[in-house]
Amino acid sequence: MMKNSTPSDRTNSKPWSILIAGMKAATVALSLAAGVVGLASSAQAHGERNQEPFLRMRTLHWYDLKWSASKLKVNDELVVTGRVRAFEDWPNNLPHPMSVFLSTAGPGSVMAKKESYVNEMPVLQSFGMVNGREYEFKLVLQARYPGRYHIHPSLLVNGAGPLAGPGSWVEVSGSVDDFVYPLKTLTGETIPNLATYGMGTVLAWQGLWGFIALAWMLWWLRRPLLMPRHLALLRGREDLLITKADKVVAGVIAVGTIALVYGGAHWAEKKYPMTLPLQGGRAVVDPLPEAARSVDVKVVRAVYDVPGRSMRMTLELKNNSDNVLTVGEFTTANLRFVNKANSAAMAAVPADYPSDIVPRSGLVVEGDKPLAPGETARVTLDATDAIWELERLSALITDPDNRFGGLLFLYDDKGTRHISPVYGAIVPHFTDANSHF
Amino acid sequence: MSMSSTTAGGAAAEDPVIAAAGLTPAGAKVSRNFDWVIVLIALFLVTGAFHLHYMLLAGDWDFWVDWKDRQFWPTVAPAAAICFPAAVQYFLWTFFRVPFGATLCIVALMLGEWINRVLGFHLWARFPYALIWPSLLIPSALFLDAVLLLTRNWLLTAIFGAWGFGLLFYPSNWVMLAAYHLPVEHMGQTTSVADMVGYTFPRSATPEYLRFIERGTLRTFGGHSSAVSAFFSAFLCMVIYIGWWFMGWAFSKMIWVANPLASYMGLKNSQQS
Repeated sequence: MMKNSTPSDRTNSKPWSILIAGMKAATVALSLAAGVVGLASSAQAHGERNQEPFLRMRTLHWYDLKWSASKLKVNDELVVTGRVRAFEDWPNNLPHPMSVFLSTAGPGSVMAKKESYVNEMPVLQSFGMVNGREYEFKLVLQARYPGRYHIHPSLLVNGAGPLAGPGSWVEVSGSVDDFVYPLKTLTGETIPNLATYGMGTVLAWQGLWGFIALAWMLWWLRRPLLMPRHLALLRGREDLLITKADKVVAGVIAVGTIALVYGGAHWAEKKYPMTLPLQGGRAVVDPLPEAARSVDVKVVRAVYDVPGRSMRMTLELKNNSDNVLTVGEFTTANLRFVNKANSAAMAAVPADYPSDIVPRSGLVVEGDKPLAPGETARVTLDATDAIWELERLSALITDPDNRFGGLLFLYDDKGTRHISPVYGAIVPHFTDANSHF
Repeated sequence: MSMSSTTAGGAAAEDPVIAAAGLTPAGAKVSRNFDWVIVLIALFLVTGAFHLHYMLLAGDWDFWVDWKDRQFWPTVAPAAAICFPAAVQYFLWTFFRVPFGATLCIVALMLGEWINRVLGFHLWARFPYALIWPSLLIPSALFLDAVLLLTRNWLLTAIFGAWGFGLLFYPSNWVMLAAYHLPVEHMGQTTSVADMVGYTFPRSATPEYLRFIERGTLRTFGGHSSAVSAFFSAFLCMVIYIGWWFMGWAFSKMIWVANPLASYMGLKNSQQS
């Protein structure tokens, strides 16, 4: 039947129609998938929300972060500064931050790290931190690849992994081909670009040896290889398989290899007589001087309301200072819940601070009264926002250790900030959390 | 013994090996085609398997220029790299008297490494080539093959060839690496160019403290750590070569296993094995 049918008949027949419809549907699906992939790739984030809540709430607390620019050209500098505190209530299941390394978290090596300092000490290498103490850091980056990137400072903690601070979007324009990182060695050599330095020698030397290796293999491949040689070997004709010429070539290869390798190494020694082994030491950084604890915080009860996406905590605050203090901000997991009724706290949020990590609903302080010097009072804080879900922090209810942590920022009447850590047990509630207070 | 004599069926009989094998011109032609198919399959098979093996055992030392130290890199890298060459040398030498097993493995490994570095490390993760060039192992492999051919003995190859495999590794790479060990001052501190490359181009999950370099007391050994490491590596290579030569023996054995499902497949007892 098909033999006599025309092409149009065939396309109108039922199986062909189904096939064509299927192909159209597949094309649409692929286009949609490509669109989704395109959108996803333009995000260029790198899974910081994937870290478990206890890693973000009870290890390092980052604050006072500033990014010097949001738009750069290739080779422009970006300076990221801020403070970080190694938390008092560090999770029991993680090693303490005895060995940490300051770096950036971003999608690959899109920014070059020019300089890094902690408490004004250069940190080329790893260093140790003390729990409960603060550190001031500075990262000087150089834009390398054009694109839009979420750039975080990051402290990589031995045994705990990378712990990223807050991220800000940075747009880089230009071409990667224009990137240069010049350097001068102590022996007077000029390195025009660190990214490509030495590659001429690497490619020439590896290419030369690759050529010799191919020549050696072709010496054998040009002849019958497998079945004939095996059969000849079975028939006792090994003499035909390894000839005198083969032995000469093998001798040349053996002696030539030794000569070329040691000749090359000798050339390198002559060219670079003063070299240094890799530096495997550690930096030593003292924490910032410890400030007197103005306010002692005791968690009376803390609840995470799962359907309401709300953290509510009743705290007992004791004011040890000579100032009248008010609650201004609760920060945890790089999120800033700011008390909008507190002008000093609101002024501490720069206009260009990443808005996606400052929840709009802020921090509600029930009975928001000033805390007099020496006074002990109970306050209830309410941090309600969908961001708990968006940042995947509601997963804290499935942590093996149901505790939470953060920093409480209080302000005196002069606008000076006083920082107190907050940590304690947290109880998840799957129905109305208010009924449990 | 030219290429034409082996590929053209009529002239194939002139080749003494073909003649000794007793192959007809048509058989010689088929065997030649078979050679190329097997060589191509072997190249990709060894590339995949050996690359996986080597990356698991010597990965970071081979990935990064600031891991290529005087102690662990020259010890670990050749010791991890001699495994497949030993096993493949057993197979190719014992059954075919073909002495390029080590070179084939190492060329395949380096092919895989460069594919991985260009596509994965450079184009995907955007690391510069100065940070990620792979170690050179070809001189070591050529020497190992040459010693096998000249001695025709696996034990002598283990003693001399495998020693050479380990000893040649560091000097053959020093040609490329020396420039990266020039001293540099940065932020008031002395460091090497290789350390600077590693510092400047961030690896978000490979921090500095993970580097397994220059540890222990070997660094105090008269300042000649690399020579001590190279000799230790040579000894390791000898031992590992012997072990993997017999691995090649074990994997080259043909074992016939009785088919336990024969009766379900309609086979008689006599057809089971």
